[in-house]
This record gives sequence, C-alpha cells and structure tokens, in this order.
Amino acid sequence: MSDLLSIGRTGLTAAKKSIETTSHNIANVGTEGFSRKHVVQQTSTPIVKKGTLQGTGVVVRKIGRSYDPFVEKKLNLATTNHSFLKERTEQLDQIENIFNELKIDGLNKVLNRFYNSFRELSVNPENETMRSIVRDNARLVIKDFRRIRETLDKLTTTVDARLEQEIERINNILKNISKINLEIKGLEVSENDATDLRDERDLLVRQLSEFFDVRIMEGERDQIDIMAKGIGTLIAGKRHQTLIARRAEKSRSSSSSSGSMEIYFQSRPSEHVSEKFTTGRIGAMLAVRNQEHRTLRQNIDNIAFSLIQSVNAIHRRGFVGRPISSDGQGNILLRDRIGPTTGIDFFAPQISREGAARFLKLSNAVEEDLSNIVTALNPNAPRDNRVALAISQLQDQKIMDNGQSTLEEYYLKQIGRVGLEAERARINAVQAKGLLSLASNMRERIAGVNLDEEAANLVKFQHTYEASAKVMKTAEEMFDVVLGLKR
Amino acid sequence: MTRVTENSTAASVQYALNKSKAKLEDLQRKGTGLRKVGRPSDNPMSNIEALQIDSSTSNNKQFLKNAEYALVNLNVIDKSLEQVTNILQRAKETAIAQSSDLYGPHIRKNISNEVIQMRNELLAVANKRIGPRYIFSGHKGLTRPFDVEGKYYGDNGRVNVEISKGFFVPINLTGAEIFAPMNRVSGGVQRSLASDRSGLFGKFDTFIGALENNDAETIRSLLEKFDHDLERTITLRTRIGSLIQSIEQSKETLESDNIAHAERRGRIIDADIAELFSDITKQQDILKASYQASRTMLNQNLLDFMR
Repeated sequence: MSDLLSIGRTGLTAAKKSIETTSHNIANVGTEGFSRKHVVQQTSTPIVKKGTLQGTGVVVRKIGRSYDPFVEKKLNLATTNHSFLKERTEQLDQIENIFNELKIDGLNKVLNRFYNSFRELSVNPENETMRSIVRDNARLVIKDFRRIRETLDKLTTTVDARLEQEIERINNILKNISKINLEIKGLEVSENDATDLRDERDLLVRQLSEFFDVRIMEGERDQIDIMAKGIGTLIAGKRHQTLIARRAEKSRSSSSSSGSMEIYFQSRPSEHVSEKFTTGRIGAMLAVRNQEHRTLRQNIDNIAFSLIQSVNAIHRRGFVGRPISSDGQGNILLRDRIGPTTGIDFFAPQISREGAARFLKLSNAVEEDLSNIVTALNPNAPRDNRVALAISQLQDQKIMDNGQSTLEEYYLKQIGRVGLEAERARINAVQAKGLLSLASNMRERIAGVNLDEEAANLVKFQHTYEASAKVMKTAEEMFDVVLGLKR
Repeated sequence: MTRVTENSTAASVQYALNKSKAKLEDLQRKGTGLRKVGRPSDNPMSNIEALQIDSSTSNNKQFLKNAEYALVNLNVIDKSLEQVTNILQRAKETAIAQSSDLYGPHIRKNISNEVIQMRNELLAVANKRIGPRYIFSGHKGLTRPFDVEGKYYGDNGRVNVEISKGFFVPINLTGAEIFAPMNRVSGGVQRSLASDRSGLFGKFDTFIGALENNDAETIRSLLEKFDHDLERTITLRTRIGSLIQSIEQSKETLESDNIAHAERRGRIIDADIAELFSDITKQQDILKASYQASRTMLNQNLLDFMR
C-alpha cells in the first residue's frame, strides 16, 4: 500500500517540476538567448516483488534544454559576417559622403573653376579683378583639399577611439564567460543543472562573435575554451586573456601613420596583433582604417602634390604682371620693391608628398600681391597670356599615375572606387542581414518558446498532477478500508 | 513540420516589415531629390560620368565666354582693317590722280593736307583701344603702339584664347603686321618705321613729301606699293573673317554639346518620375499587406480559446 502512496508522490513531484519548468519557459519568452527547457524524466528502478517486476513510479533525471550546437555555430558565424559588413557599410558611407559631389561642390568642381579662372585670366591678363578671382578660386581649392584630408583624418580618429571602447567591451565579455565557466563547474559538480547559465554563456559568445570570428571547443566538465580565428586562445576554462588597445608609433603601426590605435595581448605587449583581426566589427574597422582611409589619404596628397608641382613649374617661368624696370644695360631687374619679378611660386612649395593636401596653401608672394600672379612669359608684356594659358591647360595634361591620367581622371577614379566599395558592401550587408535573420530564426525555431505549446503542456501537466493526487487519495481510501476491518 | 515560436514569428514579422520599409525609404529618398543617383554608391559609373559631364559643361561655359570675347576683339579688328582699306583706297585714288602731270605744285600742296589727314586717321586706327587696352601692340597691351612719327613700340606677341577644348584662336594682329610689314625676321621687334619707307606710315610720309615737293615720279612709284598694301590688308581681313566664322561655328557646337550633356546627365542621374512613383505606390501596397498579414499572426494564441 505504501508503494502506491510513493508512486503517487513521485508523479506529483514530477508533474510539479514540469509545471514549474513550463512556467519558467513562459516567463522567459522574451529573454534574449533563452532556450526552452524541458523535464527529462524516466521510470524509476523497478523492484521484484513476489516474483513480479513492479514499477515504482517516475523520477526526474534532469532539466534539459533545446539546443543544437550546429545551429548555434551557424548563428555565430552569421553574426560575425553581418557585423563585419554592417560596420564596413557604415564606415564607407561616411567616406562616401566626403566625395558626394552631386550634393556638394567638391574638389572636382572647385578644381574645374580654378582652371577656368586661369582660362578667363588668359583672356584678360592685365585685369586686376580677374587675378583676384583666380586667387579666390585657388583658395577654394585649398579649402576643399583640407576638408577632404581633415575629414579623412577625423574618420580615422573616430575609428581609433571606438577601437579602444570595443576592446574594453570584449574584455568584459571574456571575463564574464570565464566566470560562468567557473560557476558551471561548481554547480555541475554538485549535480545541479546549469542550463540557464549555459544560455547566458551562449549569448555572451554570440555577442563576442560580433567582434570577430569565435571558435568554441568543449572542454572538461562542460567548460568551454574560446579561440579567436587566427589570433589564438582567449579563454581556457576559467582563465582568460586580456586585450589592450594602445597607440603605436608610425613604424610599428598597421596603418603606417603615427599614433594609430593597435591591439595587443596584455601578456605580450611588444607585438601588436591588429593585423590578425580580419573578421567581425573589429576586422571591418581595422580594414577600413588601414586600407581605405590610408589609400585615400595618400592619393589625395598625391593630387595636391602634383597640382603644386605642375602649377608652380609653369608659374615660375613667367614674369610678374607689373611694369619691371631695367638697369643701365637694358637688362631686366630680377627684383623690385615688391619682391622678385620672376621665379615666383603660386602655391607654397611642399617638400614631401605626405600631408601635401593638409599643408597646401598659397605662396606668400601670391597671398601678398596680386601682381605676383604671373600670366606673361615675357617681362613688361601685360597682354601676354601664355603662362595663364599653360596653367589652364594642366586640366587636360596627364600628370598623375606616371602620365597615365589627368588630375580629374585620377580623382574621379578615387570616387569611383569608394562608390563601388560602398555599393558592394551595402549589397553584401543586406544579404548578410538576410542570412543572419535566417540563422536566428532557425535557432528560435529549435530553442525558442511557443506559448501555444506551453499552454497545452500546462493543461497536460496540471491533469497529471491532479491524477497523481487522485492516486494518493485512492491509496488513503484503501488504507481506511483496511483499518476499518478491525471493527 | 517546422516549429514556430513566439520569437521566430516576431522576428519574421520584423524582418519583413523592416525590409519593406527600408525599400520604401530608399524610394522616398530618391523621390524627394527626384534623382536615382544621389550618392556615388547608388551607381558608381553614372556618378562619375555625371561629374565628367559637369566638368565639361562648366568648361564649355568658359569656352563660350572666351568665344564671345574673341568675337568682340576680332570684330573690332575687322572694322579697323576695313577703315585701313578705305584709307588706302582713298590714298591710292589720290595718288593715281596726282601721278599725272596735270596738277601743279599749288594744287599738290593743297592735296597734301588731305593726305596728312589720311595719315592721322590711319594713326588713330593704329592706336585703337578696347577698354584700357591697345589692340595692335602685341603683348604690350598697355603701351601705345605708334607715336606720331609712326614708330612702333609694341611687339610681335600673339594673343591666343581657347574657345573649345584644345582649339586656340589668335585674337589679335600686331601693329607690325598691319602697318609695317617686316621681312619675317625672328624676334625683330620695335623697328623704327620712320626710316623704313616700306611701312605704311613711311609711305604716307613719302607721299606727303612728294606732294609738297611736286615730285610726280615718286608718286607714281607709290602706286604699285599702295596696291600691294591694299592686297595685303584684304588678305588679313579675309583671315580675320574666316576666324570669326570658325568661332561662330565652334560656339554652335558648344551650345549643342551642352544640350546633349544636359540630356545625358538627366538620363543617368534624374529619376524617371512616373516609374519612381509607381514603385513607391507598389511598395506602399506591399507594406500595407505585410501589416495585414502580421496582424492576424501576432494577435492570437491558444490561451484565447481555453477559457
């Protein structure tokens, strides 16, 4: 009789556990990273009684969770990929804005105006007003070179600052995962289930996947080791590595510019590992900084440098636009009270290509006196426009790319490349977003909570509970019958 | 059978709505600017082509301006050459009349005043200005090219302007070319024409001197020379005329180029309004349908039916 009571009790306990689990599922329907739990139960060990095998009820073995490691892996990969392309798109969008000449009067337009102002000056070489228009247009060119160069610099600075923050976040996640590893170990030694902790850990791993490609290896006692692809082990059980972001000097940086933010292992602070990050958000930020920003900066500098060189080379050959007196022998004076009368630079000459766009400015001579803008190849020839003509002709001369392209062609090529990259990144990002939502859906289909299911289970387990209670009541009644025999 | 969960349903709905809305937003962005290319990545190739078109359109604007200016200059030169021709014509007629021995020294003296007047007219033409600029002094535009004696102070400088890509036209003739034909010695500038009897002013001086001295022989010898000068001036005028014509032609080409450019730019950058708005309407319908479908999906579950 007591068997019966005990069987009823096991049923009651199991049903209660199931109802608890169902309630837990319902309560966590909106919890990020939660996976559906279920009670794993089995018949308890049967006993032999008078030669027959007899059941002894049900026993709850553990709480399981719906989980598919392959789907999880797929989701992590999709997350890495998506966050790479999303970041890349955002970065390239910002670069693209610099060169959106359909909306703003960019370098191409101001350069065109610069050349055309020389063309106009060639028609009116003796006209003071035209000279000042030429100078104003040159100033606009200078301003726009600076705008492009400084915006690029700013973008790089922003990436650097964000890298620092992201590394901080990565370290936090790493710390938390190793902490959970430790907790799981403790719990599961004492036979407790740690399914919720595992959910939490999976979520952290997924968050980590946004930053770079993460490889998981199941270690002992359900602890996990985490490796970043191409970088090394970040977590081994309860121990974790710490990353640091620090500025590096030019020769040791991955972007070959001084003071650029690089990533190091705390344990190996001498050599940066920035170049090993090629995936996820970190990979995208570094790639854009080290390639796009850098190439564009160099090429804009190249353009500025070639402009300075070629304009100055022509400008130096002519004579100033004011009367020049001669000495007794009829030789032209090479210097008058304003300054030299020939060999004058238009732009202030630059020594190195690097930074030419940033340091571009008018020469002092041109800044100070309009008559120093040279139009004439001969002295005292106010209507001589050959220098102005030659400068305007630079527009069509292939002075870039070793004589392969004109300045405009070269600049437009840069815009074209930025546009193409941005377009490609955007298309890929949309696709990656689709794949991510597919993978995420796949995970939700397996691990997610369905309220209809839970409602049905609730009813089912409630009935089980009631029936088990009925079993115990029946046992009690049977006891009463037996006890009543005495009378 | 695929399992459906609360989150997967919500995510599907969100994804579908978001995609639909993103498309609509893109269309709206294009709609507000009426452009299908609003940034380089919308269509990198079209963007670049549009910028190239912008450049050559603004070049053309400058070329048109230059052409206008060249025309003004050349027309003034043409007018001047016409005046020179007239003066030479008159001088030649006078010389023909005076080459015979019909007239006496007294009359010739009177005639010489007329010729002096012609010479002054010629000098006025030679020192003609546009604005502050002397047109016949070569590169030395601010220097008066001829003094009273007929000495040339200008140079041989030729002023070219660009009136379409790579097409340069000269917009001046030097005083030397018109009034003092020199043997084509390179670099020969600033010749004293007073001593050079082959210059126009020199010829007039000779003519005047001959009239005053009653020297019919010299006058006769001038006839052929005046003829020669006339011929030369007319040749110059023809050259200017043909330049004017080619500038006019190039202006026309530029203008039609500009129209073609604007057309092409419109085709690659501007949105086709009809197509755009029909797309927007279509996308709005799709979004509405998604809302409808989502409503039925999100608002019901088993619990609703279990009471």
